[in-house]
Amino acid sequence: MTLREQWAETAMGVVVLALAAGFLTYSLSVGGVAMKRGDYEISAKFGEAGSLAPGAAVTVAGVKVGAVSQVTLEPKTYLAVAKLSIDPTVKLPADSTAKITSDGLLGGAHIAIAPGASLDDLKPGGEIENTQGAVDIFGLIGSVIRPQGGGSSDAAASSPPAPANPATQPAESY
Amino acid sequence: MTDAVPKLAWKGVTKRFDGRAVLDGLDLSVAPGKSLVIIGGSGQGKSVTIKTALGLMRPEAGKIELDGKNVVGLSEGARRKLFSRIGVLFQGAALFDSLTVWENVAFRLINADGVPRKEARERAIEALDQVRLAPAVADRFPSELSGGMQKRAGLARAVVARPEILFFDEPTTGLDPITAAAINQLISDQVRRLGSTAVSITHDLASAQTIGDEIAMLHDGKIIWRGPAAELRTTDNPYVRQFVEGRAEGPISHAV
Amino acid sequence: MAEAEAARRVANPLQVLGRSTLAAVRMVGSVGVFAVRGVVAALTPPWFLSQLWRQIVAIGFFSLPVVGLTAIFTGAALALNIFTGGGRFNAEQVMPQIVALGITRELGPVLAALMLAGRVSAAIAAEIGAMRATEQIDAMRTLSTDPFRYLVGPRLLAGVLMLPLLTAVADTIGVAGGWLVATRVLEFNPTVYVRNTLDFLQAWDVVSGLIKAAVFGFIVALMGCYHGYNASGGARGVGRATTHAVVSSAILIFASDYLLTTFFTHAAQ
Repeated sequence: MTLREQWAETAMGVVVLALAAGFLTYSLSVGGVAMKRGDYEISAKFGEAGSLAPGAAVTVAGVKVGAVSQVTLEPKTYLAVAKLSIDPTVKLPADSTAKITSDGLLGGAHIAIAPGASLDDLKPGGEIENTQGAVDIFGLIGSVIRPQGGGSSDAAASSPPAPANPATQPAESY
Repeated sequence: MTDAVPKLAWKGVTKRFDGRAVLDGLDLSVAPGKSLVIIGGSGQGKSVTIKTALGLMRPEAGKIELDGKNVVGLSEGARRKLFSRIGVLFQGAALFDSLTVWENVAFRLINADGVPRKEARERAIEALDQVRLAPAVADRFPSELSGGMQKRAGLARAVVARPEILFFDEPTTGLDPITAAAINQLISDQVRRLGSTAVSITHDLASAQTIGDEIAMLHDGKIIWRGPAAELRTTDNPYVRQFVEGRAEGPISHAV
Repeated sequence: MAEAEAARRVANPLQVLGRSTLAAVRMVGSVGVFAVRGVVAALTPPWFLSQLWRQIVAIGFFSLPVVGLTAIFTGAALALNIFTGGGRFNAEQVMPQIVALGITRELGPVLAALMLAGRVSAAIAAEIGAMRATEQIDAMRTLSTDPFRYLVGPRLLAGVLMLPLLTAVADTIGVAGGWLVATRVLEFNPTVYVRNTLDFLQAWDVVSGLIKAAVFGFIVALMGCYHGYNASGGARGVGRATTHAVVSSAILIFASDYLLTTFFTHAAQ
């Protein structure tokens, strides 16, 4: 069994190696950039990122226009900074609002952008300043089911939950 | 037995398979430089006789002596050294099919003796010439050779390192009479040229008389007759008579 | 007479049980002795480097097509299934991470090993079995060459060295398969997919898979050599040896996979 006698297998082996090497090179080269060709990147800061993860969708009016490429913590302000890569055909007004919306009870989250009214568009590298962080759904449900102080559900929702369970407090109320 | 130390001797060798004794206290010896042929029917322990002598099978009892020294139960290393003095031609030639003919012939030289490939190839081609195989055969693979040519290549492999003892396991089985005669001639030429001691097993009487100085007949795990090759056809031993004349009736009963 | 017959019938199942237990114990023992002899032959000189190279090409390089093909389809199917499963609780977005984890820790090494069990273990058993049947192994011994060093050692070494490399290729191609489906069919962002995979994967995910692969490579080569070396009964014996080699490697791969995974899980804690 030599390389020359089995040229078909040899060629197939080379093809497989080339495929693997090609994909690996591609992965390592784009791995640090995280953008589709032509996408532009903007950022948004949130007080609570919740289950937002890289790869999560960015939508406008429910239509996907991009993806979250990175979620990091800004050490000084303790805010979560999300980098969003956005389809270049979609121009977002500078005063748009980004809101972390849960996909469901247990699932991940995505970012819904509500376009503003400004005539200026967000430039690549710009930042969405109006943001709403993730809402802790379990905290909300918990406060509705077992309201502290026995008031109506309205009262329970508006009054802060027990300090014994700080995690249930929404990062940003609405 | 003569007073000289035999080259190879089996002393009371017993080998059992599943309780059945294939060799039952076998006593046999070959004097240096002589050619002994062991004849006998199928399943009478001929192959086992050779395999115990080669250390490929270990007998339950008895000794096998080479130059007067017992070789049963030798360590792997000592056995390997011993094999450098031994050449074997197997029944089906047993050439390695992944190697070319010359690599087969030179196998011992390259893999055990550390001879450089170029020199090994020259010696292999020389050995092939001894068995009348053209140098062109050297680079072919065993599967491309006829049965007779495979046997010749196997013979070249057995003699290439000039062994003191040669074993031949059914050298003519599966060959046509003309090719068989040629192989027999080559075997006796080579044994004479090297001055080696030879032990062969066969059930081919023509072969036995061509290559043997002495013939021993094995039956039921024991030697029942032994004598010079010329006496094979004149002895009145009933077993030998039945074997030589090829009769179904006689003292040898077949299980078949 | 009838009583004796009845007694025999009662005794039989016990006898069968005892005999098969003994046979199993003897088998484990003889595989163990064989493995030790093989490892010693593989690790101590003299080495037959041309044989080692031959086996590296046969076991490693020529297994690339089948391993690559298996990996790309498995990666693709895995991506679809995890997407579906994730969708049931709106967690489709974690698909790249789960695909990468599943492939590097489990499917890459196990599937590559199973392909090798079918391809290499069978070929080794058939080749060595045929050599046994035609007295080539006996001939080798009479030519002062230890068949363990010439035949078994190089194959064991090649198995242990090559399966991790094949697994590395299978990991890459498997992730590529998932990536293809995710980007072509499920409209994932290609770069985000890759980046999520790379950010998520830890070195240990890959390394533990490669360690598994080395063990599987040993198993595949060992089973091929063992069953081939101990083949008896001509062509039918060689056929039987081939079947036994494939079946026993597959079973041992699954069993050792579970044991290694358990061990790694505890070691990580």
